[in-house]
Amino acid sequence: MPGRATSLAILAATLCAAPILAVVWIGLSGETGDYLRHLAGTRLPTYLLTSALVGLIAAGGAGLIGTGLGWLMARTEFTGRRTLGWILILPLAVPAYVAAYAWLDLSAAGGPLHAATGGLFPTIRGSWGAGLMFALVLYPYVYLLARNTFSSQSADAYNAARTLGAGPLAAFWRTSLPMARPAIAAGLALVVMESLADYGTVSHLGAPTLSIGLIRAWSGAGSLVDAARLSLVLVFIAMLVFGLERAQRRRARSVNAAGRHKPSPRIRLSGLPALGALTACLLPLTLGMLIPLGRLVWLAAHTETAPGLVAASWHSLSLAGITALIAAALGLATAYALRSRTAIATLAARAASLGYAVPGAVAAVGVIAILSGTQSLLDPAWRSVTGEVFPILLTGTGAALVFAYLSRFAAAAISPAETALARVTPSLDGAARTLGASRGQRVWHIHWPLVVAGVTSAGLLVFVEVLKELPATMILRPFNYDTLAIIAHNFASDERLGEAALPSLLIPLVALLPMIFVARYLSRQDP
Amino acid sequence: MADMRTVLSIRGAERRYRADHAALAGADLDLKAGRITALLGPSGSGKSTLLRAIAGLERLEAGSIRLGDTIWNDARTHVPPEARRVGMVFQDYALFPHMTALANVAFGLSGPDKQARAMTQLEAAELGHKAKAYPHELSGGEQQRVALARALAPEPAVVLLDEPFSGLDRRLRGELRERTVDTLRAAGTTALIVTHDAEEAMAVADQLALMDGGRVIQTGAPDEVWMSPVSATAAKLLGDVEIIEASVTGGQAETPFGPVDANGFEDDQPVSVLIRPRAFTLSLKPEGEYTITRRRSAGPHLTHRFASEAGEWTAQTPAPSPIQEGDRVSVELDPVYVRVVAA
Repeated sequence: MPGRATSLAILAATLCAAPILAVVWIGLSGETGDYLRHLAGTRLPTYLLTSALVGLIAAGGAGLIGTGLGWLMARTEFTGRRTLGWILILPLAVPAYVAAYAWLDLSAAGGPLHAATGGLFPTIRGSWGAGLMFALVLYPYVYLLARNTFSSQSADAYNAARTLGAGPLAAFWRTSLPMARPAIAAGLALVVMESLADYGTVSHLGAPTLSIGLIRAWSGAGSLVDAARLSLVLVFIAMLVFGLERAQRRRARSVNAAGRHKPSPRIRLSGLPALGALTACLLPLTLGMLIPLGRLVWLAAHTETAPGLVAASWHSLSLAGITALIAAALGLATAYALRSRTAIATLAARAASLGYAVPGAVAAVGVIAILSGTQSLLDPAWRSVTGEVFPILLTGTGAALVFAYLSRFAAAAISPAETALARVTPSLDGAARTLGASRGQRVWHIHWPLVVAGVTSAGLLVFVEVLKELPATMILRPFNYDTLAIIAHNFASDERLGEAALPSLLIPLVALLPMIFVARYLSRQDP
Repeated sequence: MADMRTVLSIRGAERRYRADHAALAGADLDLKAGRITALLGPSGSGKSTLLRAIAGLERLEAGSIRLGDTIWNDARTHVPPEARRVGMVFQDYALFPHMTALANVAFGLSGPDKQARAMTQLEAAELGHKAKAYPHELSGGEQQRVALARALAPEPAVVLLDEPFSGLDRRLRGELRERTVDTLRAAGTTALIVTHDAEEAMAVADQLALMDGGRVIQTGAPDEVWMSPVSATAAKLLGDVEIIEASVTGGQAETPFGPVDANGFEDDQPVSVLIRPRAFTLSLKPEGEYTITRRRSAGPHLTHRFASEAGEWTAQTPAPSPIQEGDRVSVELDPVYVRVVAA
């Protein structure tokens, strides 16, 4: 099916790349609005500094937690390790803003933590508060990649360092850790990107990053050009982050040069060290998941339920579901196209993965630019034929939202599908053909059973991401069309946290089940 | 070799991974100063475990390892690998993928001149021009040479090589083997090479140690061990051998090919007669006792499988040979390639 797969891959690439290209076009060609001129002289430096600070704190925290836990899971053995291995991934189901609502409520003046400690417990807010929230819910990105690389490292490099005179710690510091560095850096890049793309957390905790400026440019000043220009800055930073990540693994490789891999024996922990390991695992889970969700349950139980939750839940579920299905299909098609090794397929996959670096708000701005551009292009012709105004594409449908979600998240479905499809080796195909299997039989009996779990997990991951998404939804949602994230955000920004609690809680609760599937799938991949 | 001082001695080394299986079951081995010892054994014989125990990567459950007067491992002591002055070349070389060739070699060195010393070592391996290359940019043979240079750079007391040529293709293997032996000799290092390839073991070793079932079953000069294996197992480790069970009468063991000298064995003692295939001399004879059942060419020689009612054996005969399948032959034994050992 290379022909069809390639066309779908090109469709995926177009969906992903078009908004960002539109943003670049608008940003470079339009007239600078008053808002941006004003901004450059006043708040822009603050936005940039805050973004850098939040990104750094998030990266530092997530790096420490993720690398530490990754190493523990990959190289040691203690009671409960297997179960914790996938449970540690679950905080990804908690949106950072949900954790932020709960922690600010707990720690602000008048909150229970503040009261119980006599005001000694610091209030979770500002840049460091936001960075901390990101670290607590985004560390699984680093954890997953670090665990994977630590468990695939050959023990021989570490042993070689030992025979060359390095003690256990020095050997870890000089060989195991640097060999894992590219993987850790890739995880950190994702953490930084997600932090910069966030809107809910930073607006609630008062950490004005660039995305706050961007949303204000659009929803406050109504300037598409200004929003696009700010988007360009954000995209430039994103490229910088990923560029740095790529540059630091330029020639050195993380895998062993000579192929054979000897799995390293795990260090058996018991007694106090085992207890320490267990505590290290439970601490981020407690801080990132149990405490915030617990607080929200309490708040929800003590507040009357606000109206509109059923409709919002339905909107959230259907948007996430539709996007996940399309993304999974596009991801699989792109992975198939990549197997053909044609230049066009490779180019399409590259373009599609561009979306990864595009924050939701930027994708939304791009989608607006495309839709309104199309509208003004077609309007004269439409008028001359029908005598009426061209129907409004922008609002009134969820399609624009799905478009934006896809451009941001379809990339996330490509590489899992590729990994899954890599299990279908050419010799498997060959074996099936020599045994007389037709193309349909091969796809159904060989490919599908091997890739189904991987593709499902990719789709579910997109599902969770869409459920959590806030900024693009804010910009693009049709009038009076609420999702859980929107309702939660609106109540929270009105300081009505009691009413925000239930919708905030519903997001991680709905996301938890798919997340468990994804977590277990990803943990099965590791030895 | 004037200096026959024992550098490293291992006594009664025991290590088990599972309760029912001992990887090392009381292995003894002495490494002589400046000499290359090859440790030959089938996979699972414990040779890699012994190597890792010497490096300090495994801890013995019983027995001892000592370097001169220093105890490395016994019931109370376990010196960690970094304190042992052991150089090790791993089977997959274990080059640090995030470091250049030079940085790899310099890893075990310290002091202000370590870069220069590492460079000297690399140049000795004729890899000075690859100093800035990363491991994945080197060929398999070059990687092996960097690994050897890295192990030798800190001037270790003992160099251990774990199947160092197994990842390479046949032609390269012979060349690299020679080069490795030359390098080890030039450095005057005491070395232990683990291999499962008999030909390779005999080609590199000053001293050959045969290992089976977690024990060292024989040590000695390679040709001496080849000519006089102490058991059927030892003989099989070094190449094809026919084993005929017999009993001794009047200092001789009876075989289908006539009696063989069995000096030193008592009457009625069960023995194994070990016959290398080249001990058989076949002659075409229409009334011969044996029939050729198979003929295979193997380059410089041939193998003939021959049979009678008493059994079937394999002979190695020089090429060319007129003897064909189905021919009848008579068989003589060359006693040089025949040994009698206790069964």
